[in-house]
Amino acid sequence: MLRIEFQIRSAGIAAKLFAIDDQVVSMEIDNALPVTGGSVFLSLTVRFDDDTSEESISSQLPDVRIVDMSEAEVNPHTYYISILTDLSDASVLSLLTENRAIPHRIVGQDSRLDVAASVRDWNHLKEVAGTIEDEHGSLELVGTTQTESVGFPLGGNKIKQSMSGKLSDGQLEVLETAYRMGYFKVPQEVTAEEIADELDVSRSTLSVRLRRVEHNLCALLFGPQE
Amino acid sequence: MTTIILIKSVDQAPTVREVLGSVVDPDEMIYFLRLPTVRCLGPLIQETNPMIEYGVEYRIDCLPDGYDVSELVEFAVEVGADRICIGISDRTMSGKARIDDLTESILLHDRISGDFVVGDHAIVLEELEYASEC
Repeated sequence: MLRIEFQIRSAGIAAKLFAIDDQVVSMEIDNALPVTGGSVFLSLTVRFDDDTSEESISSQLPDVRIVDMSEAEVNPHTYYISILTDLSDASVLSLLTENRAIPHRIVGQDSRLDVAASVRDWNHLKEVAGTIEDEHGSLELVGTTQTESVGFPLGGNKIKQSMSGKLSDGQLEVLETAYRMGYFKVPQEVTAEEIADELDVSRSTLSVRLRRVEHNLCALLFGPQE
Repeated sequence: MTTIILIKSVDQAPTVREVLGSVVDPDEMIYFLRLPTVRCLGPLIQETNPMIEYGVEYRIDCLPDGYDVSELVEFAVEVGADRICIGISDRTMSGKARIDDLTESILLHDRISGDFVVGDHAIVLEELEYASEC
């Protein structure tokens, strides 16, 4: 099984959000539930560059029904928005699932969508990429890794489930080893050198991997960096 | 079995070692196929020493200036390549092997299919099958 990252031009609900007057910095589809009649219920995390309101968003998105909107407690200008909208507003998600690919992450920023998903193999990758290119015009593959398990799909509401789809097995191994050996305890029960020895990697490799894990944990918690 | 190792830079010794050490068997034929931007493979060959260290036969070929991915596929068909190995030169923030334009063009090319394996330093496309040219 392959885990892939790719980029496409912003489309669907992301394109609609980027087009409104309130400046959207980034958006992520946290969850999606199909609704009978060709609609979909989407849970979004949307970061604006300033405060906004449900009335303002609602008036600029007449085809979208805002079911709920609340502001994040810690992160400024970040809102959790639940909407009911046409299924075509989540077309990349639909195309992935129709093609039996597992979507893990869909993030919109800088007029593009960054997508992480799992596919069975090379042929499956080509099928999925071809279908998305037909619908969205272009697709740029960004990265890939091999994985034994499918991981957890979009909408996993536990951090471990979410991270399992977004970090490589190697990075999870680094994080788990560091945690289990007491690296994060105060005072530390193990040095970085001892973890590097345990994992049979250099000190610098360990440092890079740990920082990548920490970066991705922060991205999950606080949204993508500007 | 015949393997193409695509050489995108002279710094690909880890890729070559991984492929020769854990992907191919002794006595297999290796084609080091360098991009036109890679001028000289001498130091890389000396460093990895394919014949002595790994017991493989090898040849060095070069893609022409202004090449298209189809020419790479044609080369693979011509030499009957069972594998194409592409070096991993960078990784994404989540640790995935970064896919450059050339790798993407190979992966999504209509004529070529097979198995896809991601190693530490190389993406290995193996058990290759080639569709007829349309």
